Amino acid sequence: MSGERGQTARIGDRALSSAFGPLTAYRLPLTAVRNLLRHRIRTALAIAGITVSTAMLLDMVLLAGGIERSFGRLLLGRGFQIRISPKGTLPFDTDATIPDATRVRRIVAADTAVVAVGPLLGTSLYLRMGDSLVTLFGYGVDPTAQANYQLESGQDLAPGDSSGVLLSRPVAERLGASAGDTVTLVSRLDPEAAVAGVERRLTVRGIVHWLYDYKGQPSVGALLPVMQDLARLRAADRVSALIVKVRRDKDADATAARLRTALPMLEVNSVAALVSRFRERLVYFRQLSYILGSISLIITVLLVSVLMTITVNERLGEIATLRAIGISRRSIVRDVMAEGTILTLVGGVLGVLLGAATARYLDRILTSFPGLPAAISFFVPESQSLALAGAVLLATGILAGVYPALVAARAAIAETLRAEAT
Amino acid sequence: MAGMEATVRAGWVVPLLLITAVAKAQQPVSIAIERRLAERLRVQVGDTLSIGVDAGATDRKAIVSAIYEPAPDPAAITKREYFLRLHLPDLAALLGSPDRVERFAVALKPGVSPAAAAERLNQIAFGFRASPSRDIATESSQTFRVVSRFHQAIAVISVVASGIFLLCMMLLKVEERRRDAAVMRFTGISRRTIFAALLLEAVLVSALGSVFGVALALGASLVTNLYYQRFFDTSLVFSVVTPSIVRFSVLLSLGLGLAAGAIAALRLVRTNPLILWGRG
Repeated sequence: MSGERGQTARIGDRALSSAFGPLTAYRLPLTAVRNLLRHRIRTALAIAGITVSTAMLLDMVLLAGGIERSFGRLLLGRGFQIRISPKGTLPFDTDATIPDATRVRRIVAADTAVVAVGPLLGTSLYLRMGDSLVTLFGYGVDPTAQANYQLESGQDLAPGDSSGVLLSRPVAERLGASAGDTVTLVSRLDPEAAVAGVERRLTVRGIVHWLYDYKGQPSVGALLPVMQDLARLRAADRVSALIVKVRRDKDADATAARLRTALPMLEVNSVAALVSRFRERLVYFRQLSYILGSISLIITVLLVSVLMTITVNERLGEIATLRAIGISRRSIVRDVMAEGTILTLVGGVLGVLLGAATARYLDRILTSFPGLPAAISFFVPESQSLALAGAVLLATGILAGVYPALVAARAAIAETLRAEAT
Repeated sequence: MAGMEATVRAGWVVPLLLITAVAKAQQPVSIAIERRLAERLRVQVGDTLSIGVDAGATDRKAIVSAIYEPAPDPAAITKREYFLRLHLPDLAALLGSPDRVERFAVALKPGVSPAAAAERLNQIAFGFRASPSRDIATESSQTFRVVSRFHQAIAVISVVASGIFLLCMMLLKVEERRRDAAVMRFTGISRRTIFAALLLEAVLVSALGSVFGVALALGASLVTNLYYQRFFDTSLVFSVVTPSIVRFSVLLSLGLGLAAGAIAALRLVRTNPLILWGRG
């Protein structure tokens, strides 16, 4: 009996195809669009809802791993894959320093996988400007092995150039200084005697972009020994961190493990490990993005399925008529699911546009965190996660159409037609 | 136990735990450690620890004289730092910076303006800067203002999404009553009565949804607080459902429900009952 019904349906489809053209894949979206346009307000509202939900989903996908990707790119920007810092700290997380830096550097450089080791010291100091003092952040660097600045104009420091200094753009603009000018750096102010403990007159060699500075941060850089003198850390040969470049990226974790054994009193982390530590600190944003992303998907499913179910219920008579003249269940299911998919696709495309705009706005808010490097971004697109989000959204739209499609397919033809006739 | 506060890191405290021999040459200093650190190190009042500035030089002996619960600090919870307290001269000696401090707290005589006092101090300042506590609090709360702005922006998107969802639902809910409305019109019930009935239904559905929504929010808030308080081992409150938030949500829900119900009901009562019945 069921075989007969199936045969009837197939014959009906063929008959309809010859009379009105085939219900082929390319006609299907048109039929679905026409059906959706029959209720313009509800379709518009559903698309608006899906658009906002998709925008939220997109933003949350970008946020979930965005800052980690951004942080990883920043750390790996100059190819140094390992960071060494005082035990129990992350680089520049506290004022703690590493003593005997030259010896540590020698031990690190002895590892066969290591191709470069750079020391880095960070300290607060002042720049004398007439009668007043400007508070600055000072970097002590080795220009032959550095990963924290890019030259914008002028010249880089030469090895052994103990009278040169590099300025950040904000400092240069504030002073009106350029390459060749001289500046006076002071430190260790004694409030009682009203004198500076250390004072150095240096010549500006160039203007640089300090990669880890926050927006507008006034920073200067000099050779490590000069900065150690200013910070009075030269006697103990202290640095804030060491950066290490290994021959191949894939050797970073193994090299870090070897260095950890060689230097048990220091913290040795590959960039991957640092990103992982960073991720722990930003667990809140990741969890928030998961929760809000899930809610967005639930809203999309509810919107599409409720809308489609009510629409299908309203059209039961029409569907029963179609079934009665021989349209197969499969065609009805396909038609209903196509409507759900089209709603999701249209809402999804608009949602991507809205999401991109809101991501930029939200990023502007979050990157105004005090002290955050200007190069860090919270919403970073990645093709893999975007593709996954798109696939999940599409699957959600299709899934949401399953229940109404089943309602349509299971409609009892005779009963429905009888009910419609009364 | 007034003194400066030293940051102790997880990795740094391990050597402290391992080197616990009682010092002979130097008089041990007295320290207070926070409860989480005491639990981690499994130390009690009276135990002796070795402390130092560098992990390789923990040669100063310290006796735990107190275990304290620090004031919850939202700025520090994600860093999971451990703190211990020393008398100021002991810490200064440990750091090799005798008679140096990071900051002074100044109590003013009654009636003196903090801003004016800070300005006077800054006129004679060399190597330090005086700031009213209020300014420091404003500065240090920048992070939370950023988080708050982010939450507000997310909330706006959520409100828009839920508003559209609510509008859509109410519209569908009323449109579902097409046949009922047609029957009522056929039996002579006035448009106004049908409109009022549909509107009342929309308001009731919105009100019921609001009650469930508030209950869900209170439950979610409770779970959020329980989870994060346990996750960060803190007594900080992470989620607060205030009366103003409840008021705003309920009013928004009722307003949207009423608006959507009114629009949909108006469309229904203006439509020919035969069309509503599907015969027009």
